[in-house]
Amino acid sequence: MEYHEDPLLREELIRNYLLKRLDESATKAFESHYLICDECFEELRASELLMGGLSWSKVDRRRLEDVVVIAFSSPVQLTRQSEMTGLLRGMLEQKDTKVLIDLSRVSRIDSAGLGMLINCYSHAVRNSGMLKLLNPSMEVQRLLRITHIDSVLETYYDERQAVASFNS
Amino acid sequence: MEFDPQTLEGYRLKLRYKACYHLGSFCPDVDDIVQETLARFVSALRDKKVHNPESIGAFLSGICNNVIHEYWRRLWREAPPDPALPEHPAVPPASEAVELRQAVAAALAQMSERDCELLRAFFLEEQDKDEICRRTGLSDSQFRVALFRAKERFRKIYRQEMKHKSPGLH
Repeated sequence: MEYHEDPLLREELIRNYLLKRLDESATKAFESHYLICDECFEELRASELLMGGLSWSKVDRRRLEDVVVIAFSSPVQLTRQSEMTGLLRGMLEQKDTKVLIDLSRVSRIDSAGLGMLINCYSHAVRNSGMLKLLNPSMEVQRLLRITHIDSVLETYYDERQAVASFNS
Repeated sequence: MEFDPQTLEGYRLKLRYKACYHLGSFCPDVDDIVQETLARFVSALRDKKVHNPESIGAFLSGICNNVIHEYWRRLWREAPPDPALPEHPAVPPASEAVELRQAVAAALAQMSERDCELLRAFFLEEQDKDEICRRTGLSDSQFRVALFRAKERFRKIYRQEMKHKSPGLH
């Protein structure tokens, strides 16, 4: 592929690369190219920052006692890499290791979203921390149960109870 | 074939990006992977295994893929760690990462709602050009101009913000 021919095509390619939508051969080809092309690498990094910034605005963080509550400020589906990245970054930038993820605005979750929650959980455990979930919808709750993730990640429906559970 | 230190440093930066893309930015072994990739690359250069300068990107990328696969295989072979023990010491976020995030947020806050909407539709909602044009009433060329101007504005403001926050970095 000629990456410099059409800027819009390149922008779409970069977007799809960042969202992990490219197939293996397209990913390999693009990586082989940007390793030797400063212009495309610069575009890639700018788009990543931009996408990160746009998705961060959807993630709110607040502190309740010593627990950080991470929530989405608008309805989301945890099936998109960009939103997941926002959530992950939100969590990974915490020094805090007691994290409660409010899923009340998550209308849908797929295997990638579940994997992201497990990654967050692993990150918390590695850092001697705890990660719990708050207010999953019926649909999300059903998936957590089917995949037995609910046996690893504690789930609460009352914020105060959830926060208190970190210190019990 | 020889490379100056600046070129090698450029490769290091890009390889780090690629490794983080595949392993996650929280992977503690990213720098080791990059180092191993570069060591194999330099060794191959010394042994004159690279003849075509145009294939360097694919060659380097291939080495990095091999190192990443070996890393994954090693992780799978090793016994799972005791979850009660921290596998790695807690890593506080680098202040640069926080500053970067603040600069990006400030840049977006200074942009017009129209620009943000366009960027959101294209980058986050993955709408294609025709869909956005239909919704916004823009023509093909107007859309291209608006998108690239919006991205350029973002880049400009973000760089100013970074200069303001970390004058030494940019």
